[in-house]
Amino acid sequence: MTPTPKPHLKPEEMLSNYPFAEGRFDELFEEPYQPRAHWSRLYSELTQTSSEEIRERLAAAERRIRESGVTYNVYADPKGHDRQWDLDVLPLMIAPEEWREIEAGIIQRANVFNLALGDLYGEQSLLKSGLIPPNLILGQSGYLRPVHGMKLPGNIHLHVYAADLARSPDGRWWVMADRTQAPSGAGYALENRLIVSRAFPALFRDLHVQHLAHFFATLRDSLMHFAPRGDGPTLTVLLTPGPYNETYFEHTLLARYLGFPLVEGGDLTVRDGCVWLKTIGGLKRVHAILRRQDDTYCDPLELRGDSALGIAGLVDCARRGTVLIANALGSGVIESGALLGFLPRISERLTGEALRLPSIATWWCGEPAALEDALEQVEHLVFKPADPAQGFQVIFGQDLDAEGLADLRKKLSAHPERYVAQELVRVSQAPVLGRVHHQQIAARGIGLRVFAVASPMGYVVMPGGLTRVASMENARVVSMQRGGGSKDTWVLSPGPVDTAFSLLRSTVTADDLVRMRAGIPSRLAENLYWFGRYEERCEDAARLLRVALKLTLEEGYAEDNARTPVLALTRAFQILDEDAEDTDSALLAAATLHSNPFGLPTNLRALENVAFNLRDRMSLDNWRAINALIMDPVFGRAVTLSDTLAWLDRTITSMMTLSGFALDGMTRDDGWHLLSIGRRLERLAFQCLALRIAFNQGLGSGLSWLLELADSTVTYRARYLARPEWLPMLDLLVMDSANPRSVIFQASGILGYVIKLERVYGPCGSEMFAPVVRALEELDAGKLDPENAELRDTIDRLRSAAFEINDLLTQRFFNHVHVSTRTMFGI
Amino acid sequence: MPTSTRYRVVHETRYLYSGTVTGSRQLAHLKPRATPWQEVHAHRIDIKPATTERSEDEDYFGNGVLHFAVNNPHDELLVRSESEVTVSTYADATTGNVQPWEHALAAHDAIGKPHDLDVEQYRIASPMVPLLDTAAAYARTSFAPGRDWREAMLDLTRRIYADFTYDSEATTITTRVAEVLEHRRGVCQDFAHLMISCLRSIGLPARYVSGYVLNRVPADQHKLAGSDASHAWVASHCPGRGWMAFDPTNGKLADIEFVTLGWGREFSDVTPLRGVVLGAATQTLTVAVTVEPI
Repeated sequence: MTPTPKPHLKPEEMLSNYPFAEGRFDELFEEPYQPRAHWSRLYSELTQTSSEEIRERLAAAERRIRESGVTYNVYADPKGHDRQWDLDVLPLMIAPEEWREIEAGIIQRANVFNLALGDLYGEQSLLKSGLIPPNLILGQSGYLRPVHGMKLPGNIHLHVYAADLARSPDGRWWVMADRTQAPSGAGYALENRLIVSRAFPALFRDLHVQHLAHFFATLRDSLMHFAPRGDGPTLTVLLTPGPYNETYFEHTLLARYLGFPLVEGGDLTVRDGCVWLKTIGGLKRVHAILRRQDDTYCDPLELRGDSALGIAGLVDCARRGTVLIANALGSGVIESGALLGFLPRISERLTGEALRLPSIATWWCGEPAALEDALEQVEHLVFKPADPAQGFQVIFGQDLDAEGLADLRKKLSAHPERYVAQELVRVSQAPVLGRVHHQQIAARGIGLRVFAVASPMGYVVMPGGLTRVASMENARVVSMQRGGGSKDTWVLSPGPVDTAFSLLRSTVTADDLVRMRAGIPSRLAENLYWFGRYEERCEDAARLLRVALKLTLEEGYAEDNARTPVLALTRAFQILDEDAEDTDSALLAAATLHSNPFGLPTNLRALENVAFNLRDRMSLDNWRAINALIMDPVFGRAVTLSDTLAWLDRTITSMMTLSGFALDGMTRDDGWHLLSIGRRLERLAFQCLALRIAFNQGLGSGLSWLLELADSTVTYRARYLARPEWLPMLDLLVMDSANPRSVIFQASGILGYVIKLERVYGPCGSEMFAPVVRALEELDAGKLDPENAELRDTIDRLRSAAFEINDLLTQRFFNHVHVSTRTMFGI
Repeated sequence: MPTSTRYRVVHETRYLYSGTVTGSRQLAHLKPRATPWQEVHAHRIDIKPATTERSEDEDYFGNGVLHFAVNNPHDELLVRSESEVTVSTYADATTGNVQPWEHALAAHDAIGKPHDLDVEQYRIASPMVPLLDTAAAYARTSFAPGRDWREAMLDLTRRIYADFTYDSEATTITTRVAEVLEHRRGVCQDFAHLMISCLRSIGLPARYVSGYVLNRVPADQHKLAGSDASHAWVASHCPGRGWMAFDPTNGKLADIEFVTLGWGREFSDVTPLRGVVLGAATQTLTVAVTVEPI
């Protein structure tokens, strides 16, 4: 049955709540109900589409946001939990002739800033001549003296530049702020494009919307072009402060899109004047660093000594020119709003041209005349920190009462050099789809972040950008941190768009392929290994607790003799405290409470932590499976036996799902091998421990618990249709190489993976491990019983061999990951 | 009083680590700076264990810097710097034109006028030296309107010497100026930072000088080798006079008994030895300095 489409809404209905602009520029409408020419196609598309269809498109877009895991962290959230990306599917439309103006203005500003940085870190003529007051720059924490005098490839300080634009009521675009430190948002713009272009595919094609890919290809190729050479193929890495950074998602996205390894400071080291990436294959020379970490934190030796994120010696490498850092260290100094008032004269001095794209009226209060002006009209201005590192919130004069204004005046007079005063702009509004009624169109204030990248041919501007949407109808600040949303930005072109990608070279060479295969970063490798181990440990803990709780608390389940070995195992596995008096409640606690340091919740937290650090490598499904357990109402709470058992079932199912993802969804690279070794080592050690405890019980003990622990009850019954007996059971649990839970399955799997690693990385322990596996294979299958000394001995040897492999891998691959660094002073 | 003295200075720094350090990267500001009043005849730095990387450079302030790394495992690091210099009395000496201290104030509104950045950068706050109302108030007692610059400077130097107690237990290398001002105790680094804060807070330029001072002992006592320490004092600039150095720790002009290593805005710019080590949990630091006239 085909649903009857709802009749289209008339524009009057659709716009019944639309705030036709008064005193602000309306991006969509020239006059009420009369869209501007470059919006007319989108407008008619909206008015001619049924609400069902719009709802479907929205749902598809939202699904995609969820699936790709687009997030934005908020610093204030202690756990750094991610906020889902807030995207409005209606793009901001920009007409070709208007864009040409913006583009030229952005290129010019990027040039001016780059030249100014060259001067500030070189000749300093801008300061000496007083064109910029010297104390404005010299007093900034972002003016990095160790950087002064460095020669940079192509004289480029500013590889990536961004400007925040807003449109005033008269329709002119103004620059509100400049981003020169490590501009964020280009990756989000790309993600928005992927989502929105799918929501309006025909429109996207017909309107000749300019593509973004060229911008990213230019970035990647230009970094390679400017980077120094030597020690193998050119390697560019993306340096992130880590998963707790607000834009970490974007770092992972850009790293994947550009094909750069995503690294943290601890992944890099300095040797012999060069920067190296620590990989499991040894040190690999790094030629270029795309930096998303603030420069002051980049080197504890020469910059901030309290930085735990830095790379000691990085500044010296930059000075020697052995590594390209983009943006150059020290480039953040120029993003202070205090500079904006001086920019027109700087532009004339350095380029001989007037600024094409002016900044909104801004004064640095450190100048007496500016302070006087600012004091006179405090209530009409916006105040921002002159040094971004001061980081106080923006102050709106109009929000303050008499007392607040007096207080602000006092602060201004006491430390005028700390403040920048800026004119308040009524930014333009753009249409957004209603949240509740999808065919209702509302309007929000918007700002546009535009990006430029340095290339050997000059600056190239991304045709588009990140449109940021105010969170409320009257909000004056357009900010991601403050909970605003975003939009795709469509720059229209008069003719077919150019889809040729690269300016400089073919994108992936054979050399690159070799490089990508060799050596994943050590930290990543270690996280993958521990992901395997924790995932299995959680499953083992859950299975053991399930068996133990059923045995001790559930009537009718108890099997003769099983209670003693199971409790012995819970103690040996440390999940039950040796001295626990009330074992029943201690077991319940181990299942759901944090009080037990070896309990299930503790291990799940550890797994979550590792997974958190692996978000750039794992699909969102993994993350979601773990998150569901952490968010489970039972997690961390004392509950009844039946609720606990149900929780253990859920945990086991989730862990099995995770193994399935790893088996199905991951490339068989070295990282996967380490993950698999981790899981199998953990399982091998656990199985051996369980067997050893069962052996101690001797021939007469009940065995169902052992089968259940090894998830082999069903197989056993299908095969033997009998009560468990030692010989067939040991055959199934120890010797049966077809049983994925058998000891031999784990042992030979580990040996196989270790041998694979050894082909690339040299000895990793097969020499030690192979004889133990051989001893296992050579056991006489007809003589398997708990008294068999050879069997007992082999199981013991396997267990200690598993720990030995762990130590070898740790030493071989992960050892340098956890070395603590300290900055020390000698007087 | 002689107009010049030749010195040999030995500065030994020893780190004893609680465990094995697998890598160490250090930055040393230990080379005496050549100046119009100080000639450097010889200088060498010996490091144990042997360095795996080593290079010399000049920092932003024009001081000599040694970068080095020890990438072999070690549990002790010894840096021994030995220098020979001759220090002479510099131009201004004890007399000079009387000049109101206000002449040394910045011309803040002089947009378009050429600026001497080497002076301007020492007028503003730096990470360890904030501008404080309390410091300005303390300074103003010495800087009465119209008072001669040199006289006011010496007065401030002597007041800090008289009002503050030398106490090596009272502070650490990160103690803030405000605390020193409140508790009136500290060591040479604290007094230098305090005096710099006082001067900058009333608009005068002031820089931090790192070096050594001759440890005078009465003629009948034998001086122990290594009993001296590295030292810090303050220099300020007056147009027409240039930079003059004052030592608030000893309440006097920094004269020919002072060997200059280098200068910057504050301690962190010219830390004698600053490093990042991999692996060790804690360290014990021993410093021994010997300054002897030769």
